[in-house]
Amino acid sequence: MSEYSGRRATPGRLFAISVTLLILLSPFLWLLQMSFKSNDQILQFPPPLIFTPTLENYVSLWHSAFSASFVNSLASASLSTALALLLGVPAAYALSRWAGRGKHVLSFAILVTRMAPPIAFTIPFFLFYRWIGLLDTITGLVLVYTSFNLPLVIWMMQPFFDTIPVSLEEAALVDGARTRTVFTKIVLPMVTPGIAATAILCFLYAWNDFFFALILTRTNARTAPVAVVNFMNYEGWEWGKIAAGGSLVMAPVLIFSLAVRRYLVSGLTAGAVKG
Amino acid sequence: MSESGIDAERRSFNVWALTPSLIVLFAVAVLPAIYLVVTSLTPFQLTTPGSATDFSSPLRNYGLLPGDPRFVNSLLVQAKLSFWSVLFQVLIGMGLALLLNVPSRFVEFARTFFLIPMVLPPIVVAVIWKLIYTPDISPLYYVAQALNFTMPALTSSVDFALTAIVIADTWEWLPFTFLMVLAALQTIPDEYSEAALVDGANKLQIFWYVTLPFITPILVISGMFRLIDSVKAFPLIFLLTSGGPGTVTEVTNYYAYLLAFDTNEIGYSSAVTVVMLLLVCGISLGLVWTGRRREALA
Repeated sequence: MSEYSGRRATPGRLFAISVTLLILLSPFLWLLQMSFKSNDQILQFPPPLIFTPTLENYVSLWHSAFSASFVNSLASASLSTALALLLGVPAAYALSRWAGRGKHVLSFAILVTRMAPPIAFTIPFFLFYRWIGLLDTITGLVLVYTSFNLPLVIWMMQPFFDTIPVSLEEAALVDGARTRTVFTKIVLPMVTPGIAATAILCFLYAWNDFFFALILTRTNARTAPVAVVNFMNYEGWEWGKIAAGGSLVMAPVLIFSLAVRRYLVSGLTAGAVKG
Repeated sequence: MSESGIDAERRSFNVWALTPSLIVLFAVAVLPAIYLVVTSLTPFQLTTPGSATDFSSPLRNYGLLPGDPRFVNSLLVQAKLSFWSVLFQVLIGMGLALLLNVPSRFVEFARTFFLIPMVLPPIVVAVIWKLIYTPDISPLYYVAQALNFTMPALTSSVDFALTAIVIADTWEWLPFTFLMVLAALQTIPDEYSEAALVDGANKLQIFWYVTLPFITPILVISGMFRLIDSVKAFPLIFLLTSGGPGTVTEVTNYYAYLLAFDTNEIGYSSAVTVVMLLLVCGISLGLVWTGRRREALA
């Protein structure tokens, strides 16, 4: 047992951690509790901390245009994720097995898309979409999100392929299998957890986007994050709906992040055991 | 099948696997960048026919920039916002990481919840802070009222608006620096601090001479990531202050957005964006370079 007192879970430290967590999360919890309050309760002073929760905000959202925007978000996020994986996974595999200069070109490409403020892409995309009629369409959003997720897929999947021993594939190749078959039948099943984690991150990126959706959509393809903001501008500050909309937008994020987090931890420990 | 046959087959597979991605990356990253530079050389306005192809005075937009008080101001606002939020994120993130760096199953479980602000959709973070900063419904104002303290309006005040953005941005990205520093802390072998303890060092000395040198590189790297990303505070500014009051919180990113999508000055906005891009790239390359030099010297 370590004698270094700085690394022990003393009751005092656990208490400090709990208090810090409560303070850090209080703004988030405030939004959550507000979504279950009626408008009267929201404006009451002092605010009732114990109250009968109501689902009226969620019900009215369900019957409003918000549900359509929620479907738009789901569609654009999942389609773009599927496309980015379809393009990016084989590319990552090829890069992993073929040590050429292309590796560095792509590393630089992802660095650029990471660094570049979205506005640098929205102006050209906006003009181009306006020209070919892709403004306010799901297709337009899917294209933008796919392009931004592609470097992420290549970047994330490459290390997964790197961990698979080449000798395994060579055996199959010597037996006469084609590279394509080796890739789909042997390699892909081995990296399924990596693909799942990558897919979740791609989905979250597209789901969380506000800026592109704000500029590239109007009404037909409006996504949930933009719809939440519209409650503020035109429907006269309906805080209950705003809080419920915000909570709905963050629900999938919280569920998925938890899944990725667990995966990342197991991935790290697996690496430690091997290393 | 011969050895070279396998190689040739492998090569054709690689081409088949890489080409679509490379085409897409070129089409969506390189072409828009080129197009942005092209429009920045024109007085492009959607309402003025022919303005998109008017290259008669290509550097006009760039010539206007130094004399544009809103542009100059926006750079200063961004510098202030980036400086304070990155500083707070690194310091508080480090503090949290030190607090949570204990072997305990409960703490491991709790760590996940510390990450929530970072994974939330940025617009939801903005909505949350809108609630906190709106007097009639905010817990902040309730507490102030209960204590008989007059809370100033935060987002509409010239003195506090930028601070309000800094606080929200710090809250949102604190988990990132926390996660990075925690990962670094967990690589420090206990033996070092134990040896220092045996030699009679106190907690502060252990932190200063053992822990800090270990985590300095990660503090620099995570600060650098946050600095590069700090220009993306768009949703917060959009929802909380709209760049106001006046231009107190109008960062370059927001100014470029207003120019292109509010006042229709697409050509000029492109020039602003190009300059902003060059600055961001310059800063990141500079940071990478100093990082390398530091490594070479060490």
